[in-house]
Amino acid sequence: MRRRGVVARYVDSLQSRVGGGSFVGKVLHKVFPNHFSFLWGEVALYSFVVLVLTGIYLTLFFEGSQQPVVYDGSHEPLQGVEVSSAYESVLRLSFDVKGGLLIRQMHHWAALIFVGAVALHLARVYFTGAFRRPRELNWVIGYGLLLLALAAGLTGYSLPDDLLSGTGLRIIHAVILAIPFVGERLTYLLFGGEWPGTDIIGRLYPIHILVIPALIALLVGGHLALVWRQKHTQFPGPGRTEDNVVGERVWPSFAMKSIGLLFLVAGVVTALGALFHVNAVWLYGPYDTAAATSFSQPDWYIGFLEGSLRLFPPWELRVGRLMINNVVFSGVLIPGLIFGALAVVPWIERRLTGDDAEHHLLDRPRDAPGRTALGVASITFVAVLFLGGSQDVIAGTLNISIGRITALLQIAALVAPPVAYVVTRWACRELAGRAGPERTERAGVITRDAGGGYQGADADDDAPVEAAQR
Amino acid sequence: MNDAVVTSGRRRLYRTAVAAFAFAVAGGLAAAVGYATESTDELLGLGLAVALTGIGVGLVAWAKFLDLDEHVAQRRDRLATTPVEQDELDAEIDSTIELFGRRRLLLGLSAAAILSMVIGFVGPLGSLGPKPRGERRRTSWRAGARLVTADGAPIEASAQPFGELVTVFPDGAVGLDDSQVIVMKVPPAQLTARTAAGATADGWVAYSKICTHAGCSVGLLGVDTRPPETLTQLVCPCHQSVFDPLDGARPVGGPATRSLPQLGLDVDAAGFLIATGDFDRPVGPLAWDEA
Repeated sequence: MRRRGVVARYVDSLQSRVGGGSFVGKVLHKVFPNHFSFLWGEVALYSFVVLVLTGIYLTLFFEGSQQPVVYDGSHEPLQGVEVSSAYESVLRLSFDVKGGLLIRQMHHWAALIFVGAVALHLARVYFTGAFRRPRELNWVIGYGLLLLALAAGLTGYSLPDDLLSGTGLRIIHAVILAIPFVGERLTYLLFGGEWPGTDIIGRLYPIHILVIPALIALLVGGHLALVWRQKHTQFPGPGRTEDNVVGERVWPSFAMKSIGLLFLVAGVVTALGALFHVNAVWLYGPYDTAAATSFSQPDWYIGFLEGSLRLFPPWELRVGRLMINNVVFSGVLIPGLIFGALAVVPWIERRLTGDDAEHHLLDRPRDAPGRTALGVASITFVAVLFLGGSQDVIAGTLNISIGRITALLQIAALVAPPVAYVVTRWACRELAGRAGPERTERAGVITRDAGGGYQGADADDDAPVEAAQR
Repeated sequence: MNDAVVTSGRRRLYRTAVAAFAFAVAGGLAAAVGYATESTDELLGLGLAVALTGIGVGLVAWAKFLDLDEHVAQRRDRLATTPVEQDELDAEIDSTIELFGRRRLLLGLSAAAILSMVIGFVGPLGSLGPKPRGERRRTSWRAGARLVTADGAPIEASAQPFGELVTVFPDGAVGLDDSQVIVMKVPPAQLTARTAAGATADGWVAYSKICTHAGCSVGLLGVDTRPPETLTQLVCPCHQSVFDPLDGARPVGGPATRSLPQLGLDVDAAGFLIATGDFDRPVGPLAWDEA
């Protein structure tokens, strides 16, 4: 028997103690289908990895405290200004810790990409019908991850205690306050008393660095375990049926490419962090409750909530002593409707189509005109709200009055979604009737080698051959 | 692997992987040099970005070079349980129900015990914040309190119109959030009767600076002098609510539904602006029962 290498010996040593050899074999040979749209979930996961690693570094410097201190660091414009410890520590990290600004900006860029990738992944799952039986539970887990990603972004954004983040917290405070019956008590519990208090930063900090990441890790585990157990969905194609999965084995090709993607995501985040300033809190200044700034914008994923607050007309409802505040509609009900509907998508579709069968083959969006149209209409609504969130910037850029832009967007919020629905459904039906692009598969080619023997090899990418259309 | 079957495409992938890993090595070293010699983070960041991207590209190119773009079909087993397994599970559930169902008292009491334990833990959660006792309906404004700027300087009633907003606080409570007030001077004739009634002094008007919509500071004063009439507006920069300072700061645009509470003004013996008392209603956004 030939002498075994050092890796093999360690593997043997582990196997003889914990067993599991057959499981590892199964893991390595598990098949994953390939499609570019399947990458968004991976991008989300890998930006989360970057977030955790950069976040750990940040915690070593950040002070989660509103204790006032006089800034005396190297950023001259703010020297001598009384700021909170939190803000001071962020400035110190940004100006006086070598590499600190890079890691901080990587963290912020990774967060922007994380939420974006989660949103794109969600859109992919929705538009291809991947949420249908048996994957409803994983839809709900993914939905939970979306909420957690937003919560992570919101709490992290609030920590530096700069003018923008403080203003954001103030708005959140107003929305919670408006909740009928329990609002005022809730704000006192959250902020430790009357606004602004001295507790909120110190409370958001552990929520941001411990509670939310732990929940995300837990749900990601469940999310992946279910993908593993139920196997990945696949698009229809030659040889692909409801009863198989066609693709690459985990080891080595899928794993190598996926780990490659991890490094690519980290590389892009690092390049962004190195080249582009993001959340330059030293320009905004420390939070001062009596100050606010024009053209203030939240991070992109909060834009539609901001837009809802800005576009909702000045209505409130009074019933006796009870008042349903304007921000109850724009800050609680509208987001509640959007997120509530999202949570029950699989059940809404089942009710509408009556289809309760298992589906492992994905729909092309055009093949389910109703679902696709509903999705596009929803995205249109959210997009109008998103525009509303920067209506002052739009008005400034186009030199139109804010009132006119607001009125225009209010109308668009009502009219654009139904129009988008009709147009999308029409487009889907048009496209479904047409023959799609010819499906191409790489065909095997036989090569003759120098010795006169024949060997199989794959053709060059440049010479695809048409395979049977499905 | 037989060299003869290595196509030009695969050779290119091999070279890509080699180049990518070589770049990655250089990037990592550049980052180290950048950290050691530069005062900014640019070289450090770019070096790291090149290292990470190089490893990523290298791995993907390597995987493709191995030519593993394979199409393997794996059977998808039914996830549903077989009838036999289902029967066994049902039997297990039945026997469990029978086993525990016999002792109704124990079952009920144990559930009640767990519930009361959970209720017991609600108390400590209540310690997160005190009970609201109307603090939000009061500010630090008192009759006779001087209006002072953030620097502590009082406002002379005889001063000329500033043409801009001045943020003031009650003397002794500078910077206190709920007491922030904007004050401006306009020709008294421009003010509506209800605005002027007992609440202005020499054309000075003062309003709570906290937007009644979502609580941002109403920090913008817009004056439009184009005919036919001069428009003076207070604008909240967060959600673009617009208030008319000449008419009790009533909302005239944007999502706000309530006017900014007005602070009554007077002039003390020394000629400085003072307040005539606290606001007559809560400032800023309201809870459901405060309207």
